[in-house]
Order: sequence, then structure tokens, then C-alpha cells
Amino acid sequence: MAHLQQSAIFTPGVVESIQHKAQTGLYEMRGFGTLRQRRWATFDDLTFLPCSLTRIPLEGYREKCSTKTLLGTRYAKKPIELDIPVMITGMSWGALSYNAKVALAKGAAAAGSSNTTGDGGMLQAERENSRTLIYEVLPSRYGINIHHMRMADAIELTIGQGAKPGTGGLLLGSKVSNRIAEQRDLPIGVDQRSPARHPDMLGPDDMIIKVEELREATDWQVPIFIKIGASRVFDDVKLAAKAGADVIVVDGMEGGTGASPSIFQEHTGIPTLGAVCEARLALEDCGLYGEVQLIIAGGIRDGVDAAKAIALGADAVYIGTAALIGLNCNKPLYLEDYEALGTAPYACHHCHTGRCPVGITTQDPELMQRLDIDAGAERIQNLLHAMTLEIQMLARSCGKSDVHHLEPEDMAALTMEASAICGIPLAGTRKVFGR
Amino acid sequence: MTQLNAADLSTRELNSRLRDLVARDDAEIHVENPGARHNLAVAMLKSGKIRFRGSVGYYCGGLADGISIEIDGSAGWGLAESMLGGTFRVHGNAGNGAAAAIRGGTVVIEGDAAARLGVSMKGGTVIVAGDCGYMAGFMGQKGVLVVCGNAGDAFADSLYATECYVGGEIKSLGTDAVASEVTDEEAAALESLLAANLAPELRALKPQARRFRKVVAGRKLWNFDKREWKIWREAL
Repeated sequence: MAHLQQSAIFTPGVVESIQHKAQTGLYEMRGFGTLRQRRWATFDDLTFLPCSLTRIPLEGYREKCSTKTLLGTRYAKKPIELDIPVMITGMSWGALSYNAKVALAKGAAAAGSSNTTGDGGMLQAERENSRTLIYEVLPSRYGINIHHMRMADAIELTIGQGAKPGTGGLLLGSKVSNRIAEQRDLPIGVDQRSPARHPDMLGPDDMIIKVEELREATDWQVPIFIKIGASRVFDDVKLAAKAGADVIVVDGMEGGTGASPSIFQEHTGIPTLGAVCEARLALEDCGLYGEVQLIIAGGIRDGVDAAKAIALGADAVYIGTAALIGLNCNKPLYLEDYEALGTAPYACHHCHTGRCPVGITTQDPELMQRLDIDAGAERIQNLLHAMTLEIQMLARSCGKSDVHHLEPEDMAALTMEASAICGIPLAGTRKVFGR
Repeated sequence: MTQLNAADLSTRELNSRLRDLVARDDAEIHVENPGARHNLAVAMLKSGKIRFRGSVGYYCGGLADGISIEIDGSAGWGLAESMLGGTFRVHGNAGNGAAAAIRGGTVVIEGDAAARLGVSMKGGTVIVAGDCGYMAGFMGQKGVLVVCGNAGDAFADSLYATECYVGGEIKSLGTDAVASEVTDEEAAALESLLAANLAPELRALKPQARRFRKVVAGRKLWNFDKREWKIWREAL
């Protein structure tokens, strides 16, 4: 029935988007991350090649397989030592509720991992419940406090994030409560738009001096991370390394956000798979691979993604959205509140509204109580443990006694795109496409 | 008073010495030959006085809390950035982003300031006896910014709640910046602020407080409103 056929160009989603703009005069804003349906090469396009005759596997549940992760060995007097290579990324108190921030800190600490502050500064309870706390220095400098910085175990100078590289953070007025406004020195209820550039530096040459300032401020004790949103990764990673970073964080386009124009989430940056490969090439190209550690972020869902990122060159991974899902994001609870937002479990990306049905991305005291800190922390601990077990299982099957020994050679590509991007032969061939 | 010669010390050595000396009560330190070096006196977290007998580079006194710093020459980018408290006095000029993101304290620049003076300031007081470059006060959140001379383009763009005052000409106002005459009460407060922070010979060069203009946010960018789409299009 041709008369009922929908356009492949003007799909129902496109029609809805055009009519939303016509109605409101405003581009679409939302939280979560990319909702693109069209596929691009991801970690799913790789498969591991466990041992058979050419390699000897380790006993899957018995033999030791180290997960210790050392970050910041280049210049810092006190590098970070984590029990596992899965870390919690920076998410602000403001985007997240107090309960969510504290639960993440507590859960990460129990699992021997780290958590990161975010735009808006450090919560005292976050520090008290963290084992290893990374203090973010963002372009907005909201809540910047040297005393807090000096309490941290590492400093992360954030240039951009994967969900929206090249632009600043957003926190809509519904979430700028009295406490958040006070913490950020803002008027209550404003739509807070963070700057895209740091206020006191512009390019990579300034950044060299900025990194030295942060080192001086912390007496060269703790590692300095530089975080970039994945766009021109090869060049950016080299510049970050030149600036003196101990650790470089590359955040791919599948990364999440509390609020952003949706066009940034869908149409900017490069996918995490490509980002990790470019980052490794860049560090190898300047002879710093292994000396500067690499953390990969952006849509990491499980131990499989993490293991593949490590095999491609990462020392550790950040999780953000996955951690929030572990806290019950998108879980079918309080269905009437999902409905009131015009959404449903498994399809909710309404973090920007501040009306999170499960108490994670809200500043509403009543909603926030739906997230119990201790129960949330336990789920985070469980999630981090389970992900680590998954990484170990894959590493042992590939004959590795340390998860960091995973390497590209342990995998085959399932698509020509992944083969070309990762420099790994396509399964069933001996060929790396594009070379 | 303790004297240090920066020419004999690395930045790390100099900052360590300064931090040790400042930890003592009522420390007063003169640093000779700073040589416009970057990152001097970063994160000084006690009261005490440091005087640089020459020009300093980027981020001098950055991340300070409580220190009093005097610079006989000029200062590079990011002077006093992210300061929580303390006082800074620059006898010469200041580079881009002076007093960026400060949350408290006072920064006095007796010469001119370059672009983005007081950018993202979250509190404190900034006084420039001379002129300032473009986009001064950009995204100012709290605090007071006073420019006795002329202001460059896009002054006070996208303000939140910083109060800005300009004694001379404003080349152009930034998006959502609204200028008005000062009230008698504001003029008196300004007079007293300048009297407390600028030497008489500097004050004599500048306009009387009553002639200053006050610039604040028009608040049209605080919350999105589709009726204001023209201003938002310029801002975003």
C-alpha cells in the first residue's frame, strides 16, 4: 500500500523533531547519549581469538590474572594504583543528585577503583567516601577550590567530552537548586551554560604552562590527566602528551551527558573504537606509548568492551552511563513518573529535566530519596567486580596473566570497517583492509 | 623580610621556598629577578606578603588563598586565577584573563589589562586603573569589576550577577549587557572602594565616581525564551 509508506528521509522522528522546533523555536536538548540507529564500527565488530594450539590458555577461574592498574608514572611522585582497570568518570553534582555522587564514590572505593568530581567541584562527602578521587578542572571552574584540589589523588584538566566536544556543559534551571547555585556561585534557577574554553588559556602552548601550574599547586605529587572529546584524536593526543600529561583520557562520541543539544550527541566527534586506535597510534608515533597512560571512555557497557579497549591500547576505561544504569537508570520502577515525562523505562533520556524517576539525575529532595546511597554503592561495587571478572575471563582465555597484556593480535575483525580502523585482519582472511 | 633571587632557583625550588616561608606568620618576601617566569607563587595558602621586583609570567599567584602579592612590573596571562582570597597589586599591566574565575579577594591593576579581564569571576573585586581589552567580565557570576579607563569590545558579555563599572568609554557592550548611570549610593561606594585601593595620584587621573557607568546583566540569557531568539542567536 504505497499511500501508507513512510519516507525514509522524513521518518516519524524527523517529523517530530521539525515540529518540535516549529513549536518551541528551540533546538532539542536532552541527556543520556547518542540515540542514532545507524550503525558504525564499534567494539562489537571485534571478536577475541582465544588460545587453542598456538597459545596456551590460563585456567579460567583459578590462575592468577592481575588487574592492578598503575596510572601517572610519567612525572607524578604518587601515581595512582587501582585494583581494577574500570573507573568512574566525572559527572557533576548538579547533573547528578547528592545520593548518586556519594553512592558512586562509595561503590568505586569498595571495588578498589576511582571516581571523579565533575563540573561544580567536589562534595565533601564524595572525598570522604572515595578511595581514589580525581579532581576535574573544567572550563567553567564552577566550585574550583585549591584546598579540595590538594585533597585529590589526581587532577584531570578537561578540554572536552565525547558527547559534545567543542562546547560547554549545560544545566537547565530546574536543576540549579539553592544548593547547586551556591556551590557554583550562580543565581538560582538560571539555565547554566558552561563555557567551551578555559578562561585563562587557549591553545596547546598555554596548556603546557597550565599543566605546570597544576603540578606546582599540588607539589608534583599527583598525576595530571588531560581529557579530550574525541575529534582530531591523533593530533590532540600528541599535543596533550607534549603538554606534559601523565595520563590522557579520550572520550568517544558514545559518551553520555546530563544535558546537551541532541545534535552534538548525534553529529559530532568520532566513535570510541576509532578514538582508541588513533590515540594509541599517536602515542606510538611520539614514542610515549606506555609512558603516558591512556584511559578510554564513551559508551563502555561491560567487561567485553573494556577488554577490547585494553587490547587496543588503553590502560583503563571510564564508565559513566553504565554506572548510572547500575544505579537503576532506566529501570522499570515508578512507571507513572516515566509516563509523566512522556517516556518509559529503557527509553528515558530525560536527565536534563531534573525529574529523574529513580533519583539519579535530579535535585528534587523527594525524588533523590529513591536512590538509597548504600544500596546504590553496593550495586556499583557489584557492577565493577562483574566487569572485571569479564575482562579477566577473556584475558585468561587468551593466555594472559595480566589483563594489560591483552593486545590487538588477540582479536579478529568482524567487519571490513573495523579491520581498517583497528589494523586487525578480517576474520577468515589474513588481510587488514585498507593496508 | 626575606630576599630570594629567582635567577638562582628553579620554579619548583622557588615555589617550595615561598610556601615554606609563607607558612610562618607575618612572612614578607621579596623576590628579585623574577624574569617574567611562569607559575610563580602558585597556590600560596597562608597570609603573608610576596613582592616580585620585576615582571612575572602566566598564572602568577594562581589558586591562591590568603596571600598578598605585589608585582613591581607587569603580569602575564591568568594572574591570580581561581583565587579564593588574598590581595594582588600589579604596578604595571596585566595580560589576558587576569583574575579569571576568582571566587574572592581583590586584584588591583594599576596599568592596563588585556582581553577577558575577570572572565568567569565568581566573587571578589577587580580594579583596573587604566583600560581593559575585549570581553572583560565575560560570564561574570558574582563580585565587582571596576575599570577606571576605557573598556574594549563586548564588555560584560553574558553576565550572571557580576556588577561592572567603567569610568571611560565602552567600545561596545557584550550580549545582554545593560549600562546605566550610577546612583548616589553606588557612586559613594565606588569612591570609597577606589580610595581604599588606588593611590591618590592614580585616582586623580581618573574620572570622578559619579561619572562611572554601571553594567549588569539584562538577564535575557539567564533562561531560554523563544521570544528572545535574536539575542540567543548572537549568544550561541
